[in-house]
Amino acid sequence: MTLSLWSLGAGDRCEILGYDDALADKYRVRLMEFGFHPGESVACVQSLAFGAPKIYRVSNTIFSLDDEVATHVLVRLIDG
Amino acid sequence: MARNRVILIGSPNSGKSMLFNRLTGLQQKVANFPGITVDVGTGAMRGLPDTDLVDFPGTYSLQAISAEEEVAVDYFERALEDDQVQHVLCVIDATRLEKSLYFTLQVIRDCERHGKCVTVLANMIDIVEKNDLEFDVQGLSDALHTPVLPLSARSGKGVEAVTRRLADSLLEPDTAPRAHLVDTPDELLRGAAHQLAHRYGPKGDVLIASQARLDNFFLSSMTGGIAFFVIMYLLFQSIFTWAAPAMDAVEFLLGAMADTVVPLVPNQMASDFISDALFGGIGAFLVFVPQIFVLTFIIGLLEDSGYMARAALICHKPLRLFGLTGKSFIPMLSGVACAIPAIYAARAIDSPRKRLLTYMAIPLMPCSARLPVYTLLIAAFIPSGTALGGLVGWQGLAMFGIYFFGMFCGLLVTGLVSRTSKDQYTDLPFVLELPPYRIPGLEPLLRNAWNRAKHFVTKAGKIIFTVTLVVWVLGYFPNYGADLGQSWLGHLGRVVEPLFAPLGLDWRYGVAIFTSFLAREVFVGTLGTIFGIEAADENMAPLVEHIQASGMTIGSGLALLVFFAIALQCVSTLAILSKESASKSLVVKMFFGYFLFAYAAAVAIYQLAYWLT
Repeated sequence: MTLSLWSLGAGDRCEILGYDDALADKYRVRLMEFGFHPGESVACVQSLAFGAPKIYRVSNTIFSLDDEVATHVLVRLIDG
Repeated sequence: MARNRVILIGSPNSGKSMLFNRLTGLQQKVANFPGITVDVGTGAMRGLPDTDLVDFPGTYSLQAISAEEEVAVDYFERALEDDQVQHVLCVIDATRLEKSLYFTLQVIRDCERHGKCVTVLANMIDIVEKNDLEFDVQGLSDALHTPVLPLSARSGKGVEAVTRRLADSLLEPDTAPRAHLVDTPDELLRGAAHQLAHRYGPKGDVLIASQARLDNFFLSSMTGGIAFFVIMYLLFQSIFTWAAPAMDAVEFLLGAMADTVVPLVPNQMASDFISDALFGGIGAFLVFVPQIFVLTFIIGLLEDSGYMARAALICHKPLRLFGLTGKSFIPMLSGVACAIPAIYAARAIDSPRKRLLTYMAIPLMPCSARLPVYTLLIAAFIPSGTALGGLVGWQGLAMFGIYFFGMFCGLLVTGLVSRTSKDQYTDLPFVLELPPYRIPGLEPLLRNAWNRAKHFVTKAGKIIFTVTLVVWVLGYFPNYGADLGQSWLGHLGRVVEPLFAPLGLDWRYGVAIFTSFLAREVFVGTLGTIFGIEAADENMAPLVEHIQASGMTIGSGLALLVFFAIALQCVSTLAILSKESASKSLVVKMFFGYFLFAYAAAVAIYQLAYWLT
């Protein structure tokens, strides 16, 4: 089932499937530069209170994404 | 003879600045690009005569996604065409290869296209070794067809090898053409970076695990919230309390110098000029230097330790409602002490659009220069009684109210501007890399704080001196400072009296408002001069009595409070804003925009009070 990256909770792990069309090209490019490319495994490390940006791990790097970006990243749940 | 130039480039958080300082001995000069604020440091290289190292802004790729990144990338590409540029050093974070390698491959490709030598510097190798992680340096070097030198900018390990490599390369430039990446498009480089990182980079999550433990503390709802408030309280204390002795010392020193120098000047006019314009006017802005130094040091500490990114994350959601970002929080908080260091602090905001909005909010934060004005007006017009059994004092409540009003106006302005102007090109998504926690290096922090304080004095000083000179001439002539009311400034006050009549204010307040455009607190001293009270800014009680007896109504007092809460009356702030934003039009728009906003709000308050009383 296709989910958005934003829908993941702390401890969930997923595989990136792609991006939806609403995500501007330049944002997509920057996400891919950071390692969020299709096929890559991403883990949600922390989900903070009050809708604050969530924390994700890609490879050996930790990133924080807010809902404006993370809702447009399409994923498939692996563990969670 | 033209000096050789070596370019130092790398992604953010790769330790590039620390390496720059190692290679140059901290002799950094900071310059701005024309048109936009992008810092480029240049320093003479240690151990390599006639060679300068040029430190480029950290960037994630050579594919720019904002106007600011475009400037940095264009500058790099122009540097590659420069014959003086002999070598490019590309810094990567050895602990997180994936993040750095795509950019590195782009740099190698562009260097191949321009026939420039490139060396990859794998920084933080000490952390890799300390945690027994495996990093195949030789394998990566072979795969990249480029030398890879492991080093630690923090400990200095491996740094000498860089100097040796550069010395050899400058002596016998490697001009053999390379073409293994020259025609490779970005898409293929991205895939290659991914594979190289997995094949040669360190594996295991020791570093991530320790980072996660600290994040669990600093980002949890309970402990994270407490830590945030404690750290922000200490930051605020540093601006207000810790900088105070140094500010007092500067003030004392300037006063002592004035007392020594002024009596030695035989000519009265020259003596008045030195006393009032030089020591009075210029001195008033020099007292901010310690505050800028302390704030820059503390902010550097927060950035280098890795906490700043966490603070930005915590504040992001509420500030986003007003078009701002989490990174706007620290500059805005600093603005409560003084707008000048706050504007410098806004450099940490990578999105140009959000930085611009933060610049717009900062002058509305209730800075310390407003405090004497608020104290005077509140003492004059708000009763000193209490309510709720002494729990609430009316004057304290009024002070809280006017502080809150300033912050509210700041958020109101950014909220409105962000909703009515859409300029997506200059915006960046909130994708924030959370750097590992580390212990900051003291020397670079002190150097950075020193450079920032020096920048303030040298850049803002010229503008402040010019404006001070103009105001002094207007206030001094034609009667040689005998009577401010009869000076050109006094006449100007009478000319513009109709402007302030809708606020119920006469020419005296008009003159005081005029002079307060130098610095807000000058309002108190000017009124003291007009009412003939010595040292009114140190003892306000007689001035309060004069204001109460001058026939000024409570409506006018409230209108003045509101006017001072909004108007951008600070020549130092305007000067620094102009330098940092590299936009004179922004400064002009903000100055007149906030004046009109302040004036309209003050008239509305006065008229409302008039109808109610």
